[in-house]
Amino acid sequence: MSITAETAKAHAHDPAVLCCRAEEGITIEPANLEDPAIFDDLVDSGLLNLDGCLTIEEVLGAKLTKTCDSLCPLTADVLDGVKAVSAPAAEAVEEVVAAPAAPAAPVAAPAVAGGMLKIHIGEGKDIDLQIPVGALGGGAAVAEVPAGAEAAAAGAAAPAAAVGEEKVVGTLTRKHFNITEVKRGPETKIEGTTLYIREGIEADVIADQELVKDFKLEIITPELYHTYSETVMDVQPIATKEGDSELGSGVTRVLDGVVMMLTGVDEGGVQIGEFGSSEGYLDENIMWGRPGCPDKGEIFIKGNIVIQEKTNMERRGPMAAHTAFDIITQEIREVMKKLDESLVVETQELKSIRRPGKKKVVIVKEIMGQGAMHDNFILPVEPVGILGARANVDLGNVPVCVSPLEVLDGCIHALTCIGPASKEMSRHYWREPLVLEALHDEEVDLCGVVFVGSPQINAEKFYVSRRVGHTVAMMDADGAFVTTEGFGNNHIDFASHIEQIGMRGVPTVGMSYCAVQGALVVGNKHMQYMVDNNKSEAGIENEILGNNTLCQEDAIRALAMLKAAMAGEDVKAAEKKWNPNVKSTNVELIEGAYGTKIDLVGNEQELPMSEKRRLKYS
Amino acid sequence: MGNVQILLRQHVGAPCAPCVEAGADVKKGTLIATPTGLGANIFSSVYGKVTEITDEKIVIEPAAEQPDEFVPIDVPEDASKLDMVKAAGIVGMGGAGFPTGVKLGIDLSAAEMGELDPEINPELPKGFSIDHGYILINAAECEPGLEHNIRQIENQCDKVIRGIKYSMEITKADKAIIAIKKKNQKAIKTLQAALANETDITMHLLPDIYPMGEERAVVRECLGVNLTTLQLPSAARSVVLNLETVTRIAEAIDEKRPCITKNLTVRGKINGGNEAHVFMDVPVGVSVGEMIERAGGIDGKYGEIIMGGAFTGKSTDFDAPITKTTGGIIVTVEFPDLHGANVGILVCACGGSEDRMREIAEKMNGKVVSVARCKQAIENKPGAPLKCLRPGNCPGQVKNNMQFKKDKCEYIIIGNCSDCSNTVMASGPKMGLKVFHQTDHAMRSVGHALYRTLRVSKQVSQDIDF
Repeated sequence: MSITAETAKAHAHDPAVLCCRAEEGITIEPANLEDPAIFDDLVDSGLLNLDGCLTIEEVLGAKLTKTCDSLCPLTADVLDGVKAVSAPAAEAVEEVVAAPAAPAAPVAAPAVAGGMLKIHIGEGKDIDLQIPVGALGGGAAVAEVPAGAEAAAAGAAAPAAAVGEEKVVGTLTRKHFNITEVKRGPETKIEGTTLYIREGIEADVIADQELVKDFKLEIITPELYHTYSETVMDVQPIATKEGDSELGSGVTRVLDGVVMMLTGVDEGGVQIGEFGSSEGYLDENIMWGRPGCPDKGEIFIKGNIVIQEKTNMERRGPMAAHTAFDIITQEIREVMKKLDESLVVETQELKSIRRPGKKKVVIVKEIMGQGAMHDNFILPVEPVGILGARANVDLGNVPVCVSPLEVLDGCIHALTCIGPASKEMSRHYWREPLVLEALHDEEVDLCGVVFVGSPQINAEKFYVSRRVGHTVAMMDADGAFVTTEGFGNNHIDFASHIEQIGMRGVPTVGMSYCAVQGALVVGNKHMQYMVDNNKSEAGIENEILGNNTLCQEDAIRALAMLKAAMAGEDVKAAEKKWNPNVKSTNVELIEGAYGTKIDLVGNEQELPMSEKRRLKYS
Repeated sequence: MGNVQILLRQHVGAPCAPCVEAGADVKKGTLIATPTGLGANIFSSVYGKVTEITDEKIVIEPAAEQPDEFVPIDVPEDASKLDMVKAAGIVGMGGAGFPTGVKLGIDLSAAEMGELDPEINPELPKGFSIDHGYILINAAECEPGLEHNIRQIENQCDKVIRGIKYSMEITKADKAIIAIKKKNQKAIKTLQAALANETDITMHLLPDIYPMGEERAVVRECLGVNLTTLQLPSAARSVVLNLETVTRIAEAIDEKRPCITKNLTVRGKINGGNEAHVFMDVPVGVSVGEMIERAGGIDGKYGEIIMGGAFTGKSTDFDAPITKTTGGIIVTVEFPDLHGANVGILVCACGGSEDRMREIAEKMNGKVVSVARCKQAIENKPGAPLKCLRPGNCPGQVKNNMQFKKDKCEYIIIGNCSDCSNTVMASGPKMGLKVFHQTDHAMRSVGHALYRTLRVSKQVSQDIDF
């Protein structure tokens, strides 16, 4: 279909193809040109060959010297007065990409991963560029400048504003205690690096909640990783506040080398999970080292809970399971509070730093809030505790603003049981990579984190997304991230959050697992900056725990992309189909520009193939 | 002569109200119905007796004798020319049927230029305006196969020019342009001779593509201005009149003759061949069947009868009456049988409505599984007939073809103009879509090339170089 002047401008560097027959002597206008959005399909089906085709920018205003038919790619031999490409000195020659979900009609629009950085290289003379130190991240050396003074490189989003003093607005001290052995004993206690859990504590767990019908505690050491397990509902750090410290400040004590793991079924043997479950041998179903997952070598205090039949899909079932399981964690927390300081193996200080003058960014994390097991407890008294927390669903899924340190101190106790590969478990927030990267990035000023629930009903989704839009707008943020877990239904609110923020003039990077199976079902014009959290080989939800969750490599790309967006630079539109190369190209370019190496995490290919995976996913 | 059925609605606007009783004797020119809102007077076209009056029509049984005399229109001695046009019940005879008396009620010498949309007028400078008031005569006779307009220029050129001058006088237009396809060499020569001393009346030669007779296409071709689908020609300080309408204006003023007859072309699968049968001054209300018989009768089996042109006409039957806007009767060859295959239809402003396209698909025994609309076909208000944003200039069609392919169409039926049909052909067949045009059966019937790939230029030189 012919295009408007506006579309022509947006696609200035795309191929120029006649939409219709055009006669010799006419001047090429946008109305003569086909919409580049459909070229991929045409090229795929062999209807179009773009070899030697000029760009829209080059042909507009040129005179056609020969009558050409519809779908004719415009080449130099049929035009008079072709314009030069816009490449003045020190202007963009090379552009790196990211690929958003195309603003799509309500059909599946594949989203592709990406990060973004724009490098300016020109051939001008006497270019005097002043690049603030650190413009390329971390105060590291500026990217290599080609020999001679005739070219220069500039980083993305070099802020022009005067740089203010860094301001530490909060600190959180984590005291680490090392655990090397977990045993059962007459009482719960820690001796040296051995954690004892009281024998018979199972009965307390069962007694705590009416819906809990059975409970079994297992200590899974690395030798026992090849143990069959019901679906993993949650992985939690074992941490407690010291003294009167409030969550997100003061001192938190945490055990290293051990995690809590909740697994479960209902009395009928139905897994407590939706959109897949991760039951099977632990070593075949857990993606080690993901922010939300156990690290290889850690000991799991694994509680398998059986709840009343059919309450697995009701809200009260999973809530009861989590509440009861916390009995054990709380007993350990009480012990931890009394531990002698001499057992501290490492003290870590986390700082919440504001950077006035830098681009202000906010992280909006969409969390599940549809009810049943799709809920989250927000802001418990203890890290990832139960007591004091409010259920997201009870809060009406409305945005809740928290500080970055509250996130890292376990302010979310996740009940999420959506697809195992993309769900963010409690431990994920404890190690949330985007919060960590943004907090440490000296080029941005992270003002805070907003949690917003994903309600069941569309009307409620738009109710909360409008709140998000206003919340971000009144923060005067320069840029925003919106992350989500799962895929499908939640993408409706995900898209709406981005729209509500974007329409208020704040560029927004969206982060989600999309790839193939999670392709966006909706889209809008503000979804220009998308980063795909997919890690799986085939781009699918393959029920491997944590596989497709947000990792550091995704956070790095998202930050680079947001900086570019805030600098008003274009991010190239997504390719038509999911193409994992977009991500790797972006990673390479970021590495090239920042002079650092980004270690990419592995995926399910590193795990022993489970029978389920072999049957279902290969 | 069979009974004459005179429809109460032969124009844009509300149906007229009868002003005769059943049983009344009427003459040619007896006023039998008057407007109730926007409309035009309706007269008896024959001598005879009113036998029936319904909500839709007045039926008259014609007398055996039909003298040429008619009852002149009833206007005062000093009636203005515009009053005469109004009284005569003239409507746009090219098919649109807009009451001419209303259309001419404009002072083009004082008319202000409308605001032009820069998006569709990229070549016009800002503040562009037209210095004259124009009467534009639509003599494109654009529906393929029709010939009565051109025949009238050849045979009644004086009347044409008188009508043009009256129209200029009524609207205070200082210029007139006759838009005519360059292929009509004899008519152009006739006009050229007649206009030798007429400095204010000129010709604009059109290429032989469809559509050139669309009102806004005429404005664009003659004056170089693209109007939006909501703008009237007055926005370009002009009034567009169909060729025949102009002659009816001359008759109303010179002869006080009411608008009671119509010129038309009968053509197609007719005994004796598919040449055009041009009938001048056919009484309004005569049946389609009678006109086909006068032309020679249907030659064997046929597909359908189209009233009007192949693009914008509708299927009709023998009993249907001729109206003030009937330009053509086409008897078509039989339809091909698609044996229930999946069909996509591409609806545009130049051809039939979606209903008409579906009817053709059904007559071809196709199953409509996909409907697309040309991007430029604008529905000004819900349910209103589609209008083309840039008549005759394609906006691209490959996306529609992709839809048809996706919807698993084997065939597509298109109703597009020459340029758009050409575009459909550029990708459709390569995608494996078999393309029919809505007018195929009519074009085969009149011996006209099918609308597929465009092989002529959209530009013609204005020189009379033949």
